[in-house]
Amino acid sequence: MEREALQAAVCELDSAVRPLDENADRAAVIVEASALPAIIRRLRDEPEFAFAQLLDHVAVDWIDRGQFELIYQLYSFKHKHFLSVSVLVPREDPRVPTLCRVHPVAEWQEREVYDLFGVLYEDHPDLRRLFLEDDWIGFPLRKDYQDDFMLDRPR
Amino acid sequence: MGVVTDKLPGALEKVPGGNVLVTRFDEIINWARANSLWPLTFGTSCCAIEMLMATGGPRHDLARFGAEVARPSPRQADLLILAGTIVKRMAPRLRTLYEQMAEPRYVIATGACTISGGPFIYHSYTTVRGADEIIPVDVYVPGCPPRPEQLFHGLLTLQKMIKEGETIREPGVRRKPVISALPEGVTLEDIQGQMKELLVKENVVDVQHAVDKLKWPSGLNERSSGKSDANESGAGDGT
Repeated sequence: MEREALQAAVCELDSAVRPLDENADRAAVIVEASALPAIIRRLRDEPEFAFAQLLDHVAVDWIDRGQFELIYQLYSFKHKHFLSVSVLVPREDPRVPTLCRVHPVAEWQEREVYDLFGVLYEDHPDLRRLFLEDDWIGFPLRKDYQDDFMLDRPR
Repeated sequence: MGVVTDKLPGALEKVPGGNVLVTRFDEIINWARANSLWPLTFGTSCCAIEMLMATGGPRHDLARFGAEVARPSPRQADLLILAGTIVKRMAPRLRTLYEQMAEPRYVIATGACTISGGPFIYHSYTTVRGADEIIPVDVYVPGCPPRPEQLFHGLLTLQKMIKEGETIREPGVRRKPVISALPEGVTLEDIQGQMKELLVKENVVDVQHAVDKLKWPSGLNERSSGKSDANESGAGDGT
């Protein structure tokens, strides 16, 4: 499907899905956090979309807006099309349902985002740090992260 | 034995009767060490691909300088070429690898990240600002990443350091670390020309020049000049 057609078709799925037009190169939607696993499961199972692979999962720290944007990149081997699904969660209490039951690969991708951003994935089977030491304090990719080791660029 | 007597005239002398006389043991040991450095296969990021693997390949060919036997085990290696960013989690592993290597061991730090943290020096929560915070470094090769020729330059600098460096009387005492930076305005052709010149020079032996360079004790000088005919005839018998 073409980008616009795919985006419109995905938005027809549920009232929790809204189009996101900031991305010009790829169909993109915003989903309510509570509806995320159900939507992703329908996108995987319905033959019209057939998004069988969760390519990547990243987070963006919008510190001015007080939000984390969680981005799920989906790919369909059958139709060879991409979809970017965003979820906005508040910075103070970043909670989102896990996608482990839908895409098993999400387990480690979510561990990585937890490790570096501190996003909590509800019902995740093994939410531990992935890259950093287990006794690390803080989440270093948050924009307001500080520790004693870091150097500031001299003015 | 013929190789040693050819390469290091004066360090190993043939005496009549088929025996040899070792005059300067340090020089023979350092010569052997410098020309058979076994690097550890240790690459942590892009420098390892752009520089270290490129020098191992046939176009640049580290084997010309006797350092091609890259070993995957630190217990068989005596040269650690640091190629790439060292992060906090890698630091204890790097220290372990270094301590497992056989003495005498040498370290070349290549690239901006390994020397100082490079582009990650500010606002980084994990990059170690210079590998010399963890292990001692002998030669620094700057660049981001350095060209393969620059690694050769660093390797030749290290060989020079080894040849002039440690003695048996003072084991472990080495020269200070050096920066092996190429001067500005030097082109690739210049470097390749210099390397070729050096390779030719290393493989051509000027015995008379080496003998002239020797610093014998003053008493020996007279005796050797008196006995020079006998020495020459003895060497002739031996060969």
